[in-house]
Amino acid sequence: MKECGKKNFLNILMNKPFLFLLFIIFSLQVSVEEGQVNFDNDAYPFTSEIKESLFYSLLNELRCPKCQSSNLAGSNSPISNDLKREVYELVVEGKSSKQIKDHLVDRYGNFIIYNPPIEPATYALWFGPFILILLSALLIILVRKRII
Amino acid sequence: MKKIIDALPLVVFALLIIVLFSFLSDKDDQLETALIDSSFPDFNLGALSDESRLLTKRDIIKLPALINVWATWCIACRVEHPFLMKLKEESRLTIYGLNYKDNKFKALELLERDGNPFEFSIYDFEGRLAIDLGVYGAPETFFIDKNGLIRERHVGVIDERVWEEKFSKYLNE
Repeated sequence: MKECGKKNFLNILMNKPFLFLLFIIFSLQVSVEEGQVNFDNDAYPFTSEIKESLFYSLLNELRCPKCQSSNLAGSNSPISNDLKREVYELVVEGKSSKQIKDHLVDRYGNFIIYNPPIEPATYALWFGPFILILLSALLIILVRKRII
Repeated sequence: MKKIIDALPLVVFALLIIVLFSFLSDKDDQLETALIDSSFPDFNLGALSDESRLLTKRDIIKLPALINVWATWCIACRVEHPFLMKLKEESRLTIYGLNYKDNKFKALELLERDGNPFEFSIYDFEGRLAIDLGVYGAPETFFIDKNGLIRERHVGVIDERVWEEKFSKYLNE
C-alpha cells in the first residue's frame, strides 16, 4: 500500500510538469541551505568550541567580495576559500571578532561586513527611513487637520 | 493647494523611478579601495621565475610603478596584455606582476610566448598578498607613487581609456 502511494505521487509529479518543476525547485532550495550549515569539520579543526563557533559565526557575517550577494559560508569561490583560511588562521591565533572584522575591513572596505558602521557616508542608509516616516506622519497630520 | 497634495504621490513616485533608473545604468561595480594612500603591504613570497628567490616589499624599488594582478586562467588578463607591453615600451613606469593563484609553468609559458611586461612577477599561489591588497578578482591594477603609496586601483581590463582617465595623472605629478 505504501509502495503504491509512492508510485502515485511520482505519477502525479510526472503528469504535471508545473508541480514537477516546483518539486525540483524546492529540493534545490533545501540542498543549498543545507550546504550553508554543514561544514566539513576536518577542513578547519579547532581545539576549542568557542573558537569554532566564532569561526562559523564570522563566516555567516562576512560577505564574499566576488559574489556580492552571498556570505563566505555560502560561497565556494576561490577568493571565499582564501578568506575562510585567513579568518581561520586569525581565529586560531586568538583574535577577537572585532579584530578580525577590522583586519578585513582594512583590506576590503566596509563592503565585506553586512552591517555597515554609522558614518557620514551611511547616514542616509541609517536615518533615511526614519526621516521618511516622520515626514509622512507630518504630512498625514497636516492633511487630516486640513491645515494644507 | 489640494491639487498639489493630490499630485504629490505621483511626483514622489516619478522621482523614485528616475533615481532607481540612474542606478541601473551605473555599471561601475568596483568596490571601494580601502588601501588608497596607504603604503604597499609587506609580503614575503617567491618570484615566479625562480621560487627560491624571495621577494619582499623592498624589492619594489623602481617607482612610480604599476602592480598588475594576473593569471593564465584569467581571460581578461590576456586582453590587457598587449596594452601592458605597450606601456612598458612607452612610459617610464615600471610594471610589477602579481601572479595570482596560477599554474607556475603555464604562467612562464605565457610570458615566454606573448612577451613579459613585468620587471618581475611575484608568485602568489595561495592568494596571501592578494588578500592584503583587497584583491577580489583578476585583473586588477594598482598605481604606486614615487613615495611608495598606493594611489589608484582599477578592477578589470586596463586599456588606453582607463589609463588616461584613472592613472596617467599620477605619472605626471
